[in-house]
Amino acid sequence: MKDPRADRLLKAWETPKGWRYWSAVNNSEVGLWYTLTAFAFFLFGGVLALIMRVQLALPDNDWLTPDQYNQIFTMHGSVMMFLFAVPILEAISIMLLPEMLGARDLPFPRLSAYGYWCFLIGGVFVCGSLLFGVGPRGGWFMYPPMTTEYQDGIGPDIWLLGLSFIEIASIAAAVELIVGVLKCRPPGMRLNLIPLYAWYILVVAVMILFAFPPLIAGDLLMELERAMDWPFFDVERGGDPMLWQHLFWIFGHPEVYIVFLPSIALVAMMVPTFARTPMAGYGWIVLAAVGTGFLSFGLWVHHMFTTGLPGISIGIFSAASEAVAIPTGVQIFCFIATLLVGRVQRNVCLKFILAGLATFIIGGLTGVMVAIAPFDYQAHDTYFIVGHLHYVLIGGTIFPIVAGFYYYYPFVTGKQLSERLGNITFWLMLIGFNVAFFPMHIAGLMGMPRRVYTFPGGMGFEWPNLISSIGAFGLGAGFLVLLWDVFRPKGKQPLVPRNVWNAGTLEWSGEVPDQPWGIRSIPIINSRYPLWEQENLRADIDAGNFYLPDAEEGRRETLVTSAVDAELMQCLRVPGPSFLPFWAAVFTGGVFIFSTYHWWIPAGCCSALSFATIVTWLWTGTAEIPEKETKPVGLDQSLPLYVSGPAAVGWWAMFITMLGDMTAFISLVFGYFFYWTVHEDFLPEQWNGEPVVGAGTIWPLVSVGLAVVAWCAVVMARRLNRGNHSVGFYSSSLLAVAATVASGAALVWGPYSNGLDPTVHVYSSTTGVLVLWTVVHLALGATMLVYCIARRLFGKMDAMHDADIVNVTLGWHFLLLTVAITGSVLALFPWVA
Amino acid sequence: MSESVNQQPVPLHEHGQRRPMKKRLWWIAISPSVWAIHFLACYITAAVWCEKIGEGNLRPLQISVGIYTAIALPVIIWVGYSSYRNFRRGDPPVPYDFDDPTDRTHFFGFTAFLLSSLSVVATLFTVLVFVLVGSCD
Amino acid sequence: MNFVPSQSALDHAGVGAESIAGLFWVMLIGGCLIWLIVVGLAVYAIVVPGQHDQKRTRMLVIGGGAVFPTIVLTALLTYGLAMLPDLQRPAPEGSQVIEVAGVRWWWRIHYRMPDGNRVETANEIHLPVNEPVEFKLKSEDVIHAFWVPSLGGKVDMMPGRENRLKLHPTRVGVYRGVCAEYCGEAHTQMAFDVIVESREDYDEWLRQQASLAVAISDEAEAGRKIFAGSGCGACHSIRGTSADGVVGPDLTHFGSRRSIGASVLPNNADNLTRWIAETHRVKSGVEMPAFETLAEDELRALVRYLGELK
Repeated sequence: MKDPRADRLLKAWETPKGWRYWSAVNNSEVGLWYTLTAFAFFLFGGVLALIMRVQLALPDNDWLTPDQYNQIFTMHGSVMMFLFAVPILEAISIMLLPEMLGARDLPFPRLSAYGYWCFLIGGVFVCGSLLFGVGPRGGWFMYPPMTTEYQDGIGPDIWLLGLSFIEIASIAAAVELIVGVLKCRPPGMRLNLIPLYAWYILVVAVMILFAFPPLIAGDLLMELERAMDWPFFDVERGGDPMLWQHLFWIFGHPEVYIVFLPSIALVAMMVPTFARTPMAGYGWIVLAAVGTGFLSFGLWVHHMFTTGLPGISIGIFSAASEAVAIPTGVQIFCFIATLLVGRVQRNVCLKFILAGLATFIIGGLTGVMVAIAPFDYQAHDTYFIVGHLHYVLIGGTIFPIVAGFYYYYPFVTGKQLSERLGNITFWLMLIGFNVAFFPMHIAGLMGMPRRVYTFPGGMGFEWPNLISSIGAFGLGAGFLVLLWDVFRPKGKQPLVPRNVWNAGTLEWSGEVPDQPWGIRSIPIINSRYPLWEQENLRADIDAGNFYLPDAEEGRRETLVTSAVDAELMQCLRVPGPSFLPFWAAVFTGGVFIFSTYHWWIPAGCCSALSFATIVTWLWTGTAEIPEKETKPVGLDQSLPLYVSGPAAVGWWAMFITMLGDMTAFISLVFGYFFYWTVHEDFLPEQWNGEPVVGAGTIWPLVSVGLAVVAWCAVVMARRLNRGNHSVGFYSSSLLAVAATVASGAALVWGPYSNGLDPTVHVYSSTTGVLVLWTVVHLALGATMLVYCIARRLFGKMDAMHDADIVNVTLGWHFLLLTVAITGSVLALFPWVA
Repeated sequence: MSESVNQQPVPLHEHGQRRPMKKRLWWIAISPSVWAIHFLACYITAAVWCEKIGEGNLRPLQISVGIYTAIALPVIIWVGYSSYRNFRRGDPPVPYDFDDPTDRTHFFGFTAFLLSSLSVVATLFTVLVFVLVGSCD
Repeated sequence: MNFVPSQSALDHAGVGAESIAGLFWVMLIGGCLIWLIVVGLAVYAIVVPGQHDQKRTRMLVIGGGAVFPTIVLTALLTYGLAMLPDLQRPAPEGSQVIEVAGVRWWWRIHYRMPDGNRVETANEIHLPVNEPVEFKLKSEDVIHAFWVPSLGGKVDMMPGRENRLKLHPTRVGVYRGVCAEYCGEAHTQMAFDVIVESREDYDEWLRQQASLAVAISDEAEAGRKIFAGSGCGACHSIRGTSADGVVGPDLTHFGSRRSIGASVLPNNADNLTRWIAETHRVKSGVEMPAFETLAEDELRALVRYLGELK
């Protein structure tokens, strides 16, 4: 019996064919590309590691030159962190999260696609530099002044611009995932019922939102120093390399947990399945995830214990670094408790989980050791740390991801990986890994520093290094077997049965092979393991008995629910295939890549093109006025098709994006006060014979005043639009635009009329960067208003359908805050200091 | 449609009972946020003190940390205590792993209570530093 | 004596290194026990089939996951923090103060003398045994880190700042120090020798280092002329001669040092010849140009001269 509803649904969600396949934006396709690309970068990083191990196998080896080695270890770290560890979590989440939440797609599919293409272009660009011998060679931590004053060539610029580009894509993914978890759940799935994976991803995405912007701010400062000689890190002109270390590690330590938690999230999905019982201590796990998320922001200085900070500062961070071990311990015991109460089903996945735990605990224990500052004085920057971090990252991240590969492979392909090859992989990886990395602890304690291209014979480093190199190839062989298992043709193998592991969570409700619609109808959920606990659930889903079983208008639709209780709120129409995200990413990539080479004309063209593409994308793809206000979604429910304000996913995305944006801005302000703290002469009268001036007092305050006027006009415009006062809306909006432009002009005029030269001293460059940041944001604020005016002119926005102006107003609240902070700091703080 | 489909998408809380923590996702973030503020206040005070004043007696620094703690700890403990009461309200099923849809209140209460406990420990760890490390060296 | 001396943090010969090694062994034993228990429990849970009591496992989460780590970590943190003041405290007034500056990729060393003078040397540090010594650490370019594993922990050398470190050697011997912070192309080859000796030997050494360059033999005189003629003095100082460059290491008593090129090669005539003629093959990235054009006899004379600068 053919169900016409199913046919319509299938047609709406059909994956494009032929070359148009690459215009797909659905989470299944984008997630798959993302995963494969991240995995390819992982293999690239792994090959780099093997090259290093060959070099280090023997003492006084000169197979590689120091310069080659330095490029290789820099790229190994950067690739693994920026091109594998973070992207793979986004990849897996994009692929799995909607399925776990019974959603048809994430709320902003085109944003995911845009993020993917950015990642691919940026990643290939950064890795490609190595093949031409111009790769970055400043380490993945890029400490100035080495990377600002002592490395010419474009290596550091490639690192800064290429990776900033990818970091922005990561933040986009974080926005997507936060909104996905909070707003795109099936009705009834309250926050205490969501899969643990979603809790972890929520925490991680929020962490990305607060951790990546400080690094982007740091990248901005360093690129300004490299390209325009603004002396943020040049001690001759009052700069201080320590600021970079703070900004880098405020990113860098949470980063470790950003990488680790999603993998533990996979474990939290697999353990209950194989123990055939719900997770013991759901609340404890949530505690662990949220607690780790918070505490991980109080650890960054433990990467700087040897920089000569006062003992008391060191102690504070040592204490927080110990505290973070508590939530980590809690989750491990929850897993063990679940295995204890359940009836364990043993297989190769579980072996990888166990190996991951055993390995990770070693890394965790050595982590507790190095968090004790005195021990870190010895261990810091030695091979002990190399051993420690690989135990954490391979044990805590790679092994669980490999387990996840085995677990979710049938979900993606409908086929299973071989248990026999899996066992070979397992032993090769487990033994290879430990043989490779355990001796590094010993080498480190024997005094072997990190990042050395070779070592002298006769100091006892020979054996540990030779053993490590042998082990590394064992580990590499394990990955080769895995690779073969994943890609070998499996044509003859029959398809697996549905829900092959007999799991309890919603992603396993799909048919084999999976249909592009994600889920046949969106169910009502009232338990944590609905496939185990809700009777007949799958049959009802399949029969289309729940919500949205049909696509009458041929549109892609999914449900939006409330953040805590998952009450039905909206039927969201999500966009379908388009090449716009691809072109937007190509042009954005062009801006970054051409800037690296200082080819300003092509870079300018690309930025114009990317602006045009993004506006077209927003214009045609967002806040579309529906043909009817509500539509029946099944089960006698009718839901609105258009909402604005806090009920809308777009509002949330704006809010979250602006939080990230504010974090970057606050990082710059932190820089200003940091320089004040560390320097007696932060505000010198003159420097090297040139006067040091700020922005003055009057003009920054005028700028703030004008921004307040603009903000009031924006709020009025929103209100007048809702009251359908056309003329009032236009005039208020135009007033806002004019006041915005005037505010920006006043902010620039202050330092300009004072004769500020940002290259003279760090005070002038810091003033300069705050002005620059704020003016760019004012320009964006004005552009958004012009966009709203145009929307209303062209009938894309009216009194009822006002999402554009509502979201722009929200953005303006943050913008006002930015201008107010900039203006008052620049105008008033010099008087206080 | 089969019998089992629950027509009520969001089961209501038992009639007559208050829902004290309705819509309070942020409730669970209070205690760790207080920890974070206390932590930053301690760090910034210590850093500025050691950079700008430096040598000598740390007593004023220790007193300010004492004041921060005297503000922060009661807040965390209060959040923890009221969360615990919310969690115990109306006999929560044992073990703690209830996933009854009506139990959102218990869940938030329980999680907030655990996070408060963790925040207390972390805050005390910070204080311990000022007790044991008494100089800017 | 073996050219390569000890560089192990566990082979401790100083107060700091010893207390840290003690801390390490305590943590290692504790860590091993915890690992065995937790992993044993996990293996038991997987290998021994059957469901276990819910209430007891819940106690496991509370006890093993929360309470036990909190207690252990509190104890460990107290131990670690209590060590900090001693390690951080400067050496007492009147101790020897040694200024070390990291320069890509070698070490500029100044001994502060009681009379207020400073004696410059490079890449080799002598210390009196059983006395605390205060180091003032600086950088002239990028970030370096000063680390003598056998004596104590490391401290970074930050441009624009002066960091300090106290070392308190307890055993006579030769130890190796290295740059621990990645500092560019020749980071690997930025090491130095530390010679811990009796007070008498130390005083004698310091007195000799403070003196001007020694008189040289007639054979070496040709080398001195080559040194002057090839422009070596633009970068290097030899106190008591016209060579007064400040860019490179001070060579006044070069002949007395154990090694060449920041502890890259043992100091002997063959190695020194190689160093001068093919500098970049020995140590890639160094600022010093290779003097490939020197004739063999010129090179021999130059090496002889430098070797006599005891």
